[in-house]
Amino acid sequence: MDGDALWYEAAFVVGITNALNVVADALTDARSLGATIPAPDEASAPAEVASTFGEIRTFYARADVPVAFRLLAADPGYLADVWGATRRAFEDATLTRRVKEALAFAVSVTTRSPFGTAFHLGEMRRLGVGDKGVMEVLGVTQMFSSYTKIADTLQLEPDMGDIAPSDPSPPPGA
Amino acid sequence: MPTVRLRNASEYPEAAQRVFEGSKQWFNHDFAEPPAMSRVMAWDMDFGGPHGRAMKRAMAPGEFTRGEKEMVAAVVSGVNACSY
Repeated sequence: MDGDALWYEAAFVVGITNALNVVADALTDARSLGATIPAPDEASAPAEVASTFGEIRTFYARADVPVAFRLLAADPGYLADVWGATRRAFEDATLTRRVKEALAFAVSVTTRSPFGTAFHLGEMRRLGVGDKGVMEVLGVTQMFSSYTKIADTLQLEPDMGDIAPSDPSPPPGA
Repeated sequence: MPTVRLRNASEYPEAAQRVFEGSKQWFNHDFAEPPAMSRVMAWDMDFGGPHGRAMKRAMAPGEFTRGEKEMVAAVVSGVNACSY
């Protein structure tokens, strides 16, 4: 695995995963504590989101729309743009969708996101990752959650930047 | 600036030298000095030994390749805001 494209793709997966998780988890928790947030059910969503909801169901091969998107339905334009970025981040490209879901799962576990952990575990399973594969991702997540804290506690400075070659290729379309 | 003085490889005992040699092979790179993390883990081989073995076991190819797992490790490090 080399070249910068996969790292850009990974970064976009990390970003949009975190964005969906923080809202889904926060609003789900807030609702459970009595906060007045519109019920994220598909039946009460504006008619303008029907097309976007349809795309989401197709992309995830499921009958319902994940709560992370239902929560955004009050603003159909915003939902459509967030969904557009999400679909782009997760579709097969240099990295496969299967690997991207593994990255999103690792991010969700690391950030302790109940929504993200359950959702991306489900997607990994749906895309064919078995018990061993799930454990592999958890093992890497666990070990590097240790290394990072050891490094931070001792304030270690990066010293392995030279082991990967730089990618001289221009941005896509240039 | 690290909170400890990172010892040079030459200051470590023989058992640690074998770990440093393993680091070169693991990363397929001839470091002038072993990575700081390798030298940290070699400080206490009763911790660093099993921790390193668990890491290598977790990173070994399986359903996911070593490269894919390195990417998982990178995003976990990024989310943990760890610059190392």
